[in-house]
Amino acid sequence: MYRALLIALGILTGFTGCAKSPAGMKVVKIALVCPLTGDVAAMGQGMKRAAEIAVEEGNAAGRFQDIKLELAAFDDRADPKEAVNVANQIISDRQIAGVVGHLNSGCSIPASQIYSKRGLLMITSASTNPKLTLQGLKNVFRICTTDDVQGSFAANYFIDKLKITRAAVIHDKTSYGQGLAEEFKKQFEIRQGKITGFDGINIGDKDFRALLTSIKNKKPSLIYYGGMYTECGLISKQAKELGLPVPVVSGDGVFTPEFIKIGGNATEGDYASMIGIPPEKLPKAKAFIERYKAKYPGVDMQPYDTYTYEATSLIMEAIEKTGKDPAQIVDYVSRAKFSGILGETTFDAKGDTLNKTISIYRVKNGKFIYCE
Amino acid sequence: MKWLTALLLLIIAPLIGYHYGNFYALHVAGLVGIYCILCVGLNITVGYAGLLDLGFMAFCAIGAYTAALLSIKGLSFWITLPVCLLLGGLIRYLIGAPVLRLRGDYLAIVTLAFGEIFRLVANNFDWLTNGPKGLPRVGEKISEIRLFSLSFTNDLQFYYLILFFLLCTLLISYRLEHSRTGRALVAIREDELAAKLSGINVPRVKSLAFVLSGMFGALAGAIYVHWIGFISPEMFTFWESVLLVAMLVIGGMGNIAGALLGVLLLVGVPELLRPVLGTRFVEYRMLIFGLIMIVVIIFRPEGLLPSKRRAAELHAKDD
Amino acid sequence: MFIEQVINGLTLGSIYALFALGYTMVYGILRMINFAHSEIFMVGAYIGFWVLSSLPVFLPGFLPAYFLAVFILAMLGAGLLAVVVERIAYKPLRHASRLAPLISAIGVSIFLQNLIMLTAGASSRPYPEKLPLEQFNFFGAQVSSLQIFIFGLAVLLMFILTLFISRTRLGKAMRATAENHIVAQLMGINVNTVISLTFIIGGGLGGIAGVLNGLYYGSVKYNMGFLPGIKAFTAAVLGGIGNLKGAMAGGFILGIVEAFAAGYISSENKDIFAFVILILVLLFKPAGLFGEEVPEKI
Repeated sequence: MYRALLIALGILTGFTGCAKSPAGMKVVKIALVCPLTGDVAAMGQGMKRAAEIAVEEGNAAGRFQDIKLELAAFDDRADPKEAVNVANQIISDRQIAGVVGHLNSGCSIPASQIYSKRGLLMITSASTNPKLTLQGLKNVFRICTTDDVQGSFAANYFIDKLKITRAAVIHDKTSYGQGLAEEFKKQFEIRQGKITGFDGINIGDKDFRALLTSIKNKKPSLIYYGGMYTECGLISKQAKELGLPVPVVSGDGVFTPEFIKIGGNATEGDYASMIGIPPEKLPKAKAFIERYKAKYPGVDMQPYDTYTYEATSLIMEAIEKTGKDPAQIVDYVSRAKFSGILGETTFDAKGDTLNKTISIYRVKNGKFIYCE
Repeated sequence: MKWLTALLLLIIAPLIGYHYGNFYALHVAGLVGIYCILCVGLNITVGYAGLLDLGFMAFCAIGAYTAALLSIKGLSFWITLPVCLLLGGLIRYLIGAPVLRLRGDYLAIVTLAFGEIFRLVANNFDWLTNGPKGLPRVGEKISEIRLFSLSFTNDLQFYYLILFFLLCTLLISYRLEHSRTGRALVAIREDELAAKLSGINVPRVKSLAFVLSGMFGALAGAIYVHWIGFISPEMFTFWESVLLVAMLVIGGMGNIAGALLGVLLLVGVPELLRPVLGTRFVEYRMLIFGLIMIVVIIFRPEGLLPSKRRAAELHAKDD
Repeated sequence: MFIEQVINGLTLGSIYALFALGYTMVYGILRMINFAHSEIFMVGAYIGFWVLSSLPVFLPGFLPAYFLAVFILAMLGAGLLAVVVERIAYKPLRHASRLAPLISAIGVSIFLQNLIMLTAGASSRPYPEKLPLEQFNFFGAQVSSLQIFIFGLAVLLMFILTLFISRTRLGKAMRATAENHIVAQLMGINVNTVISLTFIIGGGLGGIAGVLNGLYYGSVKYNMGFLPGIKAFTAAVLGGIGNLKGAMAGGFILGIVEAFAAGYISSENKDIFAFVILILVLLFKPAGLFGEEVPEKI
C-alpha cells in the first residue's frame, strides 16, 4: 500500500514539464471539445473533420512563422460531468490557446465557467441555448444563432405558411431541448396557436408510444420536438406507427442524415430548422465543401461543420495577430470583424454573433430539402 | 514512521506539481481523494457489515444537491455541511429500517432500485434540482468555502481540504473497525444468528453502520459540488455505484488500505494515463475493470489487499 | 385511448415476460440473480441486427422463413453466450457466499456492455425495417401488425415452454433439480447438464426478447439491456421468482402498468413506477403475487 502510494505520488509530480515541443517550432494548440463517442457522435465527428481541415490549411498556408499549429480533440461524450473533467484537463495545458466547443449547451454552460478561470477563449459552434452568453463571462463567444430566434422562427413559419394552429410539444429536458421547445411554445401561443401538450422525456428512452397515444387523442396537426436526432427519429417513427401521421418538427439538433436513418421512411415530410443559410448558397463556403468532399469522400456533412470551420479559423486569425496570450486573444475576438465562409462575423457585448439567419428544411425522398 | 513520511509526501508533492503548473495531476489527485472518501465510507456497509449496496451514489447525490441548494442561497459551507450529513444520515436511516431485514442479494437489488429512484427524482423534479440541466441554474452561483479570511478557489486549496476530510474519514473508519461495534459487525457478517444469540442488537448495529456509511457519501458529495461548482443527475448513475463496488472488490473488501488501493487503481491510474494514452483509452477501462472484477471474485475473493479476518472467512468455505 | 394503452402495455409486457423467464428459471435452479441476463438480451438484439442488415431477403414469399432464421440465430447465439457466461463466471462460485455470483455477474455485465460498445459503436443503430407494417382497426383503436406479431410470438413461445417443462423428461429433470440438487443427482439426473439447459433456454428467450425489442423500437444500443432488465427482473419478482407462470403474468402486469403510468400520469416518470413496485414487492411480499411462501432456510 505504502509503495503504491509512493508510485502514485511519483507519477503525480513526475508529470510536470513533460510537454516539451520539438526543436525550433513552438507548438500552439487549438482544443476542440465535442462528443466523439455516444449518441450524438456523428455530429461531433463532423466537427472534428471540419476543424482538422481548418488547422491543416492554416499550417500549409504558412501564416505562422515559428508556430506549429495543432488540433487537440477532446471527447465530452455529451455528458456535463465529462465536459467539466475535460475542461479541467484543457486549462492545465498551457499550449492550448483557445477552445472550439462544446456541442451541447448542457456541456458548454458548466465548462465555460472552468475556461473562464484561466480566461481561455471559448467559441462554441453549436450550443444554441441563450443562457450560455448570459452568464457574463468575457471569454465566451458563440458563432451560431440562439434558440429564441430559432424557436420563434419555426412557430411563425408554421402559422404563416402552413396555417397550422394545433401543436403538441415534446422536449428532452436538456438546456438545449427544453429551451428550444419553450421558445417555440411562447411564440406559437402569442400567434394564437394552441399548444395541446408540453411533455418532457428522458434522453435514452426508446418507448414513446404511451405518450404519443395520449398526444394523438388531443389531435394536434404537428409535433414539435426540442432535442437531438436519436430520440426525434424514434418519435417520428413510432408516431406514424400509431396512426398519427402529422409532421414532426425540430431544430438544428435533428438536422443531420442520421435522423433520417433512425426514423426511416416515417421521417418523410418532417421538418427541421437550421441556423444560417445552406452552405451551398454561400459563395465562400464552396471551396470548403469541395475540400471536405475531397478529403472525406462518401462522408455526409454534418450540420455544424461549417460553423466549426469558421470558429477554428477565427481562433487561428487571433493567434496570428496576437500570439498566444489568452487575454489578448479574447480581446482580439471580442473586437473582430471576421470575414469567413459564413459571411461577416461580429459579436455583440454578450458574445453572440450578429449574423442571425434561420432556414427551414423538409425531408423529401430521404434527404433534407431547403424550404426557406 | 512510514505513515508519517507518506503523509508528508501527500502534503508536499502537490506543491511541487502546482509550482510547475501541472493542474491536471492536481485535479486528478483531488478526484482520487473524493473517491477515497466514498470508497472508505461504502466499505463500512460492504466490507464491515457485508451488505452489498448498489445504490451508494444516491447518498453522494443527496449531499451534493443539498449542499448546492443551500450554498446557492448563500449559506456558508460550515453550516451546509452538517445539514448535508444529517439529511444524508436521516434518509439512509429511513431507508435502512425496512431494507436491512432483507437477505443479501435482495438487499443489493433494493439499494439499486433506491439509487435509480433518486437519480430519476433528480432528473425529473425540475423545480428542485433543475433536471438534467444541473445546478446551479444560470445566474446562480455556489458560494465559496471560506475559512477565516481564506477562501477556497483553486485545485490546490481544495486538494488540502479534501485531504483533511479524507484523514478524518480514515480515522473514524479505523476507530470503528477496532471498536466494540466493529467487532459486532464482523460477528453479524460471519453468522447473523450466532451474533444475535451472543446478545448483539443486530438491527441497531447494522443500522448504525448503514447510516454512518451514508454520511460519508453525503460528505463526499458536499465537497465535490463546492469544488467543481456544478452537478447533474448523470453523475450519479447506477454504473458509478457499481464502480465503487468494483474498487472495493478489487482492492479488498473490509480493509481500509484495500479500499484506497482500489481507488488508486480504478480512478488514479486511468486518469493519469489519459493524457498519455488518449481519450479512447477511457472507453477501454470499463471493459478491463469488468474483467478484473470477475477474475478477482473467482480467484481471490478477498481482493488484492485483504483484511485478515475477511480472507479467513472467505476461504473457510473452500474446504 | 384506453384500449390503445392496453395494447401498448400488452406488447411491452410480452417482451418483459419473455425476458423475465430467464431470470426466474435461473433463480429457480441456482437461487442466484443472473444480473448479466440483461446483456444476453442486448447481445440477442445485436445478433438480430447483424443478421437483418447483412442477410438479404431472397424472395418476398420467403419472409416468414427469413424471420424464422433470424430468431433461431438470435436464440442460439444468446443461449450459447448465456451458457459460456455460466461456465466461466458462475460455476466456480456455486458454493461461495450468495453475493459472490452476483458480483461476478455484475462484472460480466460491465464486460459485455463495453465489449459491444467498443466493437459495434457507442451510438444507437437503426434496426432494419423488413417486416411489412400495417395498421388494423380494433374496436376503434389502432393496432399495428408488429404489435400483433410480438404478442403472438411471445404467447406461442411461453406455451411451448410450459409444455416442455410439464410434459418432457428434461422438463421433469429441471423441476427436480429446482426442488433439490442433491436428491436430483441421486436420482440419476446430471445437474450440470440441467443447469446448462436452463441457461440455454433462458438466454435464448432473452435473445428473442432482444430482437423483438429491436424491431419494436427500431434501434439498438449497447446499454439497451439495463433498464428493461431491471423491469423484467421486477416482473419475475412480482410473479414470485422461480415461478414460470408468475413471471409471464408479472411481465404483462408490469407492461400495462408502465403504459398507463406513461399515458395517464407522466411520461418522464414512468420508470420510477417499476422501481417502486420492485421495492414494495421485495419488502412486503417477497414471494410475489403467485409464489409460495417459503420460510428462509438457516
